[in-house]
Parts: sequence; structure tokens; C-alpha cells
Amino acid sequence: MEFGPIFRSLLRNRARVVVIVAEVALTLAIVANCMSLILDTRAQLARESGFDDDHMVLVRSNPFAESLNEEEVLNQLVDSDLRTLRALPGVRAVSNTSLEPWGQGGSITSVRLPGTRGEPLRAQFYSADPSIFDTLGIRVVQGRGFTREELEHGADAGPTETLPVVISKTLADVAFPDGKAVGRELAFADESQRLLVVGLIDRFYKPLGAAADRVMLTPGRTVGFDYGSSYLVRTEGDPGAMIPRMEKALLGAEKGRFLRLRTVPEMREEFHGRDRLLVASLNGVMALLVLVTSLGIVGLTSFSVAERRRQIGTRRALGADKGDIVRHFLLENWMVTSLGVVLGAALAYALNFGMVTWVSGARLSVPVVAVGALGLWLIGIASALGPALRGAQVPPAIATRNV
Amino acid sequence: MLLYNLRLAWKSVRRHPVLSTLIVLGIALGVGVSTTFITAYHVLASDPVPGKSGVLHYVRMNSWGLPDSPFRDGPPPQLAYRDVREILKSGVPARSTASFPSRMTVFPPNAKEQPFRESVRLITSDFFPMFNVPFRYGGPWDRSADAKPEAVAVISSALNDRLFGGRNGVGRTFRLDDRDFRVVGVLDRWRPRVRAYDMVVDPLGEPEAVFVPLEWAGPMEVSPTGSQSTWRSPEPGEEDLPFIDRLVLGEVLFIQLWVELPDQARVAAFESYLDSYVAEQKKLGRFPNKPDNRVTPVLDLMTELRVVPPQTKALAAISLLFLVVAALNLIGLFLGKFLARASIVGVRRALGASRWTIFVQHLVECELMGLVGGSLGVLLSLGGLAILNRVYGDGPDGVAFFQLDVPMVFAAIALSLAAGAIAGIYPAWRICAIPPARHLKNQ
Repeated sequence: MEFGPIFRSLLRNRARVVVIVAEVALTLAIVANCMSLILDTRAQLARESGFDDDHMVLVRSNPFAESLNEEEVLNQLVDSDLRTLRALPGVRAVSNTSLEPWGQGGSITSVRLPGTRGEPLRAQFYSADPSIFDTLGIRVVQGRGFTREELEHGADAGPTETLPVVISKTLADVAFPDGKAVGRELAFADESQRLLVVGLIDRFYKPLGAAADRVMLTPGRTVGFDYGSSYLVRTEGDPGAMIPRMEKALLGAEKGRFLRLRTVPEMREEFHGRDRLLVASLNGVMALLVLVTSLGIVGLTSFSVAERRRQIGTRRALGADKGDIVRHFLLENWMVTSLGVVLGAALAYALNFGMVTWVSGARLSVPVVAVGALGLWLIGIASALGPALRGAQVPPAIATRNV
Repeated sequence: MLLYNLRLAWKSVRRHPVLSTLIVLGIALGVGVSTTFITAYHVLASDPVPGKSGVLHYVRMNSWGLPDSPFRDGPPPQLAYRDVREILKSGVPARSTASFPSRMTVFPPNAKEQPFRESVRLITSDFFPMFNVPFRYGGPWDRSADAKPEAVAVISSALNDRLFGGRNGVGRTFRLDDRDFRVVGVLDRWRPRVRAYDMVVDPLGEPEAVFVPLEWAGPMEVSPTGSQSTWRSPEPGEEDLPFIDRLVLGEVLFIQLWVELPDQARVAAFESYLDSYVAEQKKLGRFPNKPDNRVTPVLDLMTELRVVPPQTKALAAISLLFLVVAALNLIGLFLGKFLARASIVGVRRALGASRWTIFVQHLVECELMGLVGGSLGVLLSLGGLAILNRVYGDGPDGVAFFQLDVPMVFAAIALSLAAGAIAGIYPAWRICAIPPARHLKNQ
């Protein structure tokens, strides 16, 4: 192969080499970091709640009529709302709960094993009625759910009583490493109340602080004149199509309130909105960047060909065939691109270090850099192919002209 | 001379239309992408209260009553009602305001219209001058209305239009939950991109539609909708106490306190007041943990609470590097374009043009391309920002969240000129350094 001559000709065109090498290197550094950020964000976007998201509607009801400003009346309204919603065709289950899947807010509390000291565990904490598990589409895998008596009693339970809770398996694994959680007790970090674990659920995910998959559900109503009440509804089919009927039925039962009904898929979209935008932006920047770089390589190789028309002619006249000419330019480009890719891999790590230190993001992984390097390398060669083929069309006769 | 150079540049553009289009597009893409994401960063990171950010301070104290606090990096981000009341009463800061958000029911004066829910913020009257809140009609309520409290409210422009059909609503009343409030002020269009007054809960959210005196929290039993944390559960018998007493006894941390301290001496005075307040509370058995008072200016708090999302920063950094790649690309394209006409330059040099003339001629061409590409890039960034706005949404005033402002347009043009210059200097130097004789030979 003609490594020697190509290398020497490259040395004579240092400016062009430096430009391509720098461009390829920077492009690889940026692309690798973009890919790393995209993969990181998409991993978060892909995490599922574990619930039957696609068939759920969240109903918020806020009373304003003075006639409703009484605990007894509001409790009755909750019961009648639950009956109204359950009576609608296409409704599978309804639960009165403070849990809002994919909602922006939530509640977190600290618990630890009774009588122990040290770092408490942080867990999400919601009240729910016994139908919460059917509504979310999850199963109690160990122990039991709640009973109606526990729900009715929940409101009157004093701090001296032990509160039954169903907890997520991930919380149980941390709190009770021996695997026997059901029947054991937890306590709020201030020791104000004991909690008795009656059951375990295996699936729960709601991004909130550092407790995304740790939860405690306790029997209780979600109702109040200020807070209003909320219901999760699980439907048979498309939840969006059910909303007008639900709204009409609920307002038909009581007009002195506001209703806000949203499907859980809608809430999930809203929750992920900014992250999706980030992924889209990074994809866009990456595509444009690769486009700019490959156009740059096309341009520079074209000039390199145009400049050397006479040399090409001479080589052709001396017996080189078209394949030799194409190979010459491809090899030249391959050498330059490879140098850029090697430098770019190092630069990618340097850039990643800067990003992690001063901005944010995850560490770069080797496969990401490798894929980026391979991709860029192929794009580099593909970009040089067109100009190289055109160079091969130069007729040998040109060597005889103008000399 | 400049005109002559511009004419030459134009001729060169006409001679290589494809190449020139590529060059312009390259600059346009580089400037468009970087302007989009730098604007997003600039909008979020710029001073949210110009002129006031140095004197406004956010107050935190370590009032957590349990040995281990869930707040890793310092004191809890918000305060308890009882502490805020004492500090407001003290009169040590020149101005001070405490606030928390809630939602309430608004009943329009026309009883036929349906009531609706609105976001409400409970504040003290210093809030308005402290955060430079603009008024369309009327103004803040008197400080005396804070203490009593009086049923007075300041409402947003949009709510005023909805309640009073676009007429000045000052002096008129509307019902909020269970009582009538008199409108004393109507805000002008106001959509700060970062709500300096609430960086803890929702810094990028919209300002509330209704503002009423803080002391209504008790009598109206207002539930906070923002974030609240507590370390103390109610003890038996406490559940039946009035709501506000529960908030006080329960040590619920839900109020944000801002003070205005015009100079270092006042900052020091306020800090020593806080120290003595905490010492006093310790004697009463509160504040069992190590004191950790923080009096933080606006911009420092923004940094500490990471108000600008790290993704926005990352994209701004990446888009700047994109511009660097675009400029590198230009070096190559200019180099090719210029060297291709080395023979013409040879003739001009032989006819007496100096190196400097040739250099300037080519640099002018680069800057022309930079300017055209940059302008196109600014247009592209409008499209980019429109895409971002589809997620961030429009404010109540119908103004998109991210907007290109005049300084950013100038910055974009400056960036494109810089890209043109950086990319152009080396190729222009190369072409003017060519000895004329070499290219004359072959003609």
C-alpha cells in the first residue's frame, strides 16, 4: 500500500489535516457525551410505574358550596362518588386515595425500626382504601390488603394505636433484610406512632426525592373541605373517552364543587415533558453536528482532489487505474479520520469529566465511546467516497496539458 | 474600499454558489443551535430581580427538632410560622415578607357565573416593593392591613379582566372561599421567568393570581399547597385545636421568609439578631440541633438550589462546542475556496495589490458570510425556541416562556462575526502569503 507517499503528502497539507482531525475529534467528543446523556435520560423515561397506567383516570374534587363544609357530609359524598363511578359501564375499579401516579407532588416520611437509632429510612406515604390494589392493577404478594373496618377506623385511630401499612418490597428489603416483613413493626422517626406491616406489594415506582420505589400505604380516606378528595379510576378501555361521562355523573350527584379529571398517561407525558425535550434537543444537535462535519469532510476532500487534478492525471498516465486513485483518497481520509477518532475518544473523556464536575450527567461508558467512534469513522469514509470517485474520473490526458 | 471588497465578495459568492451556500448554512446552523440553547440558559440564569438581587436575602434556620434531619446540605429550606411571626415583628430588616402558596375558590361578583379555583399567595405588603412587582391599577395594601388583617387583595391582570370585564377593579369586592375581599391593586402583566420569591417549591412556575395578607392563614384555615415538612406529630388532644394553632404547635415548616438588607452593616445586624433569637429559643427548649442560620442573597440562592436545570446548562455548553465545530468546518471550506482562486490572487498581486489588501479583501468576504449566516442563524433560533416553548408553555399574559431579547440578538451577531473572523484569518493569511510568481507561470 501507498502509506508512505500518502503520509508525506499529508505532511505537506498540514492545515487541512489539522482542520479535519480537530473537527472529527471534537465531533466525537460531543456526540459521545450527547449519547451518554440521551441513554441516561431515556433509561429514566423508560421506567414504568408498575401500575396499569394506560387505563387510569385521576379525579380531583374540590368542594366550594358551604353546605359541604362538614366532615359527615363530605364522607357521605366520597361514598356516593365511589358508588357513582363504580356504576358507570367500563369502570373496573375505583379507589379514594392520596396517591397520584406520575403527579408532580407527593409525601415522604421517615421511618425506622422501633427503638433503634441511626439514619431513618425515607419512604413515600399515602392513604388509600381497600380497592387501591385492584385500581392500580398490582397484587399484594405477601400478607393481605386492607379491610373495610380498618378504613372506617382509620380516621379515628389515635397516635397510641398501631397503624396497619402495606409496603413495597424494596422498602421491606431494606428495613427487614431477613425477608420476613409481614407482621413486623416500623415506627415514625419521631416515635409518635407504630406501624404494623400487614402486606407487601412487589411493584411501585413514583419518582419523588430519594424514595422512588419505597412506599407505605395506610387505610384512610382522602377527604377534606380544603384539600378536597381524589379518586383513581381504572377503566376497561381508553380512559380519555370515559372522562366526559364520569364528569357528568359526578356533577349530577353534587354541583357544589370543581372537578378536574386527567388520564394517567396524560400526567405521565407532562411529568416527562422536559426530559423528552432534552432527548429531542440532544438528538437534533447530534444530527446537525454530524451533518456539518460530514459536509466539511466532503468539502475538504473535494478541494484536495481539485488541487491535485494534474497529479492524478500523471498517475493515471503512468499506469494507475481508477481504483488506485479512489484508494489513494480513501486511504488518505482514513488516516486523517482515524487520528481524529483516537484524539476524539480522549477528548470525549476530558469533556465528560468537565460536564460531570461542573454541570451534570453520568460517567461516559466505553461502549458509548466505541459506538460513537465507529459511527464517525464510517461517516468519515463515506463522506470521502464521493469526491474520491470524482477524482478517479480525471482523464490521464490532463497530465499532458499546461506543462 | 470596503464597498469594493464587498463587491469582490459578492462576485466570489456568485462564482461558487453551492460552496457559498454551504458556508452560509454552516454558520447559520452553528449560530442557530448555540443561540437557541444559550438563550434558554440566559433566560433562566439572568438576574430575576434586577437592581434588587444584592439586597434581598432569603432566611433559613435550623429549627428541626429531631437529631437527624432529612435535609442533608444544611438547614430546612422553609421556616415555621411562629419563628416567621417573631422575625417580621422585630423590625430589624428594612423590609421583610413571608409567604406561602395555596389554592382557593373565587366567586365572581356576578352570581350567575360559576366559581373557580385560583392560585393564591399569602404574603405581607412589603412583598410588592421588594420584588419590583408592577401595578396596572392601585397598589399594595398598607402595612397596617397586614397585622389586623384586613380583607384586601391584589389580583393579576388576567383575573381582573375575568372578574370585572377589563375595567379597573380597584375598590370592588369578590368572594374568596368564605369571605369578601376588597381589591386594592391590579398587577400589570408580570411573568418573571424565575420566581425569585419562591425558589424552593416551583421557581419556574407562574406568579399566583391572588395575593392576600399572610395573617388570614389562621382565620381562614388556609392549607399550604407548596412543600411542607414537619418533625413533630400532633399529640393526643391537639387535633381539635384551631388549625393555625396546629400549624404553630406542629412545627410545620412551610413559610418562606425574605428580608431586604441594603448594606453589609444591616446584614451583620440581622445575622446577630438571628443568633440571639436562636439562643433565646434554645432556652425555651426549641432548636435542639446545632444552629445553622443562613442569610442568602438571591443569586447565591439560585446557584445553591440549582434553579437553572443542569440539562439547560449542559445543552448551552454543548451548543457552544457545536459552534466551534462549525467554525473549524469553515476554516476548511474557506481554505478550499480561497486556494482555488490562487491564480486570480496571483494576477492581482502582480498588478500591485499588497498582501494586506488581499488579506482584508478575503477577511471581508468571511465576515460577509458570517453576517449573512448569523442572521439566518438568528431566524433558525426563533424556530428552535418555538419548539422549546411548546413544552415550557405560554404565560398568563400570552407571552412565550423563552424569548430572544435584544442583547441575545447582538450576542448572536457577535458570535457569527467571531466565527467568521476565527475561521477566516488563517485561510486569508494563507492566500495572501502565496508568492504571485507561482500562479502566473501556468496562465
